[in-house]
Formats: sequence, structure tokens, C-alpha cells
Amino acid sequence: MKQIDARGLACPAPVLQTKATLQEEKPNIVRVVVDNAASQQNVQRFLESRGFQTKLEQKGDDYLVTGSCDTASEEQDQSSVEQPSADPQSEANRIMVMCATDRIGFGDDELGLALMVNFLRTLKEMGDELWRLVFVNNGVKLTIDGSEVLEDLREYEKGGLKILVCGTCLNHFNLLARKQVGETTNMLDIVTAMQLADKVVSI
Amino acid sequence: MMFPTDENVLVGLDRADDAGVYRISDDLALIQTVDFFTPVVDDPYWFGQIAAANALSDVYAMGGTPKTAMNLVAFPVKEMELSVLRQVIQGGLDKLAEAGVVLIGGHSIEDRELKYGLSVTGIVHPAKVLIKKNLRLGDRLVLTKPLGSGIVNTAIKAGIASAELTDRVTHLMASLNRAAADIMSNFDVGACTDVTGFGLLGHLAEMVCGSGMSVRVFSGQVPLIAEALELAAMGLIPAGAYKNREFRESMIEFAETVTRSRQDVLVDPQTSGGLLISVAGHQVDKLVAALKDAGIHDAAQIGKICNGPQEKIWVL
Repeated sequence: MKQIDARGLACPAPVLQTKATLQEEKPNIVRVVVDNAASQQNVQRFLESRGFQTKLEQKGDDYLVTGSCDTASEEQDQSSVEQPSADPQSEANRIMVMCATDRIGFGDDELGLALMVNFLRTLKEMGDELWRLVFVNNGVKLTIDGSEVLEDLREYEKGGLKILVCGTCLNHFNLLARKQVGETTNMLDIVTAMQLADKVVSI
Repeated sequence: MMFPTDENVLVGLDRADDAGVYRISDDLALIQTVDFFTPVVDDPYWFGQIAAANALSDVYAMGGTPKTAMNLVAFPVKEMELSVLRQVIQGGLDKLAEAGVVLIGGHSIEDRELKYGLSVTGIVHPAKVLIKKNLRLGDRLVLTKPLGSGIVNTAIKAGIASAELTDRVTHLMASLNRAAADIMSNFDVGACTDVTGFGLLGHLAEMVCGSGMSVRVFSGQVPLIAEALELAAMGLIPAGAYKNREFRESMIEFAETVTRSRQDVLVDPQTSGGLLISVAGHQVDKLVAALKDAGIHDAAQIGKICNGPQEKIWVL
């Protein structure tokens, strides 16, 4: 087991030391000793973000965070699963629609775009069950200025639908400044939404 | 401790607000505030700008117009080149010029660590002072800058923020709340504060305390620096965020759908954050539209003021 003594260090130094050790030595089990609660939580979260299962002990003024990655058990899986919300919608089905393209199907691009426009407009027939609309890859182009469905998407958003637009994708196409609707998001949010949804529809 | 006061003190230490307000006449009151800190960015010129934007913000949050300022400087003369200090002060001066504020003095001392900030004086009509504690049932909350600067600054210290992200957050911290304050003055605003060290929920808690109201925050609508969520999940969270959460724990209820990282961003201590405005419900869309028209693209409606359960913040 690799031990790191990060006592006396303030954030973010303990996380950095842990990160460096993981990169250089790739230990299966690592123990980090810190002396304040903030560093303890940060180190614990860092290890968990890297797929480690963590255990916490307190010894006097010190916190011992032990992370192990070779015993990925159900316990770890459970800790990362979000509980369903207590909001009224939790009673209904929650449908997440993920668009990874700006047109439907292959073949004629013009037809594909027309179908996509029609699809997004017709989605409202799902009613309250439509819970998240996520745009990734080429799909983000539907959320920028000039998009044929911009007004429709704005209407959805006004009606309380949460629209998530992949930040990495916008950045890739250099469209960050041109996004007109929805919340710029990241993979963690998208994955969390998938977990919470009752149904995920992928286009 | 007892602080003597008089009838012209409109806002004083008895109800801590963003700045003190003293009535000079029936139609004029002085706003006074002071703030200084150690560098938040490596570039001295930008540090100067951020410190000035931050100090001016308290006057804007009170509904006032800043007029004059004085520098506060602590400088390690023996260890640092004087040119560094010159750049810090130039940054402050340029930001003051942008705000239409004149520097009329200052004071410096020798210290082991660089510190810079300003004392700012502004004016306001005594009837138009915007205090924190005036939440009205049905009002909506608007935030004018995205959250996450504390987390990003921690990532910068850790050397893992990209140059583009560093640049983006630097500009964000240095941007004035002046335009937002100008626009806000045309609307029916009940209360206002600026989001700084206590984070969004900490400052909101100050507004809620003693109001008899509760607040719902729609966490999905809260503008934030997109990268902050991932950085928070990696444990790059300033210690202040944990303190902020702990201090207001009894007032804040997070719905289980609010991810841990999003919670962290909501309590992340901000440097020179945006204005948090409580505006009449029927005007909120117009206010947000006006802010966006003025180039404040991140402005968003983030919550509403509700009847009890008493003085709780519900984060959905």
C-alpha cells in the first residue's frame, strides 16, 4: 500500500500529491493522511472520481483516507447512484431524449433535417413525461443561431423542460458563443440524467 | 460589542449589509465600503482590476453610484519589484476609469505579502437604498454572473486549468457590476446583494434570515462555469466552500437530484461575483432580457420567494 502524508498542506495540495502518486506509481491501494476536513473530503472525492473505493478513519487530529481500486464492489456502485427526486414529476415517467445528430437517419440529408425538425416539434406530444432534451456531437448545431427549431426549443425551455447542450461539442465546433438555448453541460451531468431517467431515447 | 449610531445611519453595523449608508440630506446619502485581499491571479495588472471591480461591487449592490476611491496597499518592498506594484495600481485605476470613479488618495504599508484593495464612496437617494433583507413574497431571483470562480481558481493553483479557462474566469472576475446595477434601477427590485465569499447560498441565506420567507432555487437554471462541475468532482474545491456549507447547513435543503458537484458550486466562494437581485415576479422576464441585451449573457432567473416553511432555502 502506498502512503501519502499530506498533513499541514492546504487545498489543493493534498489532491495534487495524490494525483501525482497515482500517475507515477499506479498503486491499487493508496492511503492519504490529512489534517483537515476540507482536504479529507477533496481527497476522497478525487479518489472516487478516479474509480477508487474509499474508506475513512479518524485518528486524533488526522484523517486517513484509504482508496482501493481492485475491489470495485457493489458498495461503490451504490454510493454513486442518485436517488430519485422527491419532486412531483417523479411519479410520472421521465423520458430523456438524446440527439447526437442534427438529422434523422442516413440517405438524403435534406430529408434527414426536415425529419429532425418535425421530430423535435412533435416531441411535445410526450407532454409532461418529456424530462430532458440533450444535444451532443452534431446535435448541438440545432441549438445555435439560425437553427430552424430554435423557437421551438425556446418554447420547450419556457415550459420548464431542461435542455442540456454538450460543452465539449460546442467547443469542438467553435460554437460556444453561438448557442442560443439550453444549458451548457458536461458528460457527468448527461450520465447523471441518464441514471435518473426512466427511459432514454437516443437519436 | 456596542456600536454607537445616530439617526442618519441608514445602514450600519446592526444589520450587516454590503456597505454602510449615511444620510447627508433628504435626497442624498453616502455609501461607504472597503475591501482588500491577497492576489487571486498571477498577473498583477489583472489582480488590480479584479480588486477594484470587487470593491466597487458593494456600492452597486446597494443601488448606488460609486464616485471616489482610495487605494489600500500592502507591499513586500524588499522581495518584489516595484513595477509589480505599478501594474497592480494601473489595473485598479483602469477599472475605476471604466466605472467613472476617481482615485483621490490612498495609503500603503510594507508587508510580507502583497495585498491590494480600495475604499469606495458612492451616493444614493435615501429612498432608493437596496438592502439585503427585503424579500417579498412572489419575487423572483436573478443572478448576473456564472458561479464557480473559487473552484476554477483552485484548479489554476493546482496547475490543471487550461489557459483559455484561466483567461475566461479572469475576465469574469474583473467585469464590473455597473451595467447590471444600471439596468436593475429601472425595475421594481426589493432586495439586492453581490455574491462573494459566502457563495450563492451563503449570501442568499443572509437575505432569507429574518425575512419570514423561504426561497426555492432552481439549481439547473443557475448560471455556472461549465468546467466547475468536473473540477468539483475531482476534489478541487476551496476549503471555504466546505465552511460555507457547514455554516448554513440548517437552512439549506438539497433535493436528492442535485448532484454533489452542483451543490459545491452553489456554495463556492466567489471573487467579485455577480449581483443577486430579488425582483417583482411580473418583471423578471423583462429584467433578464434587458440584462442579456446589455451583454450580460449569463444573467438568469434562478429562484423564487415563497411562503414558509420558515426561512429555508430549498434547492431543487
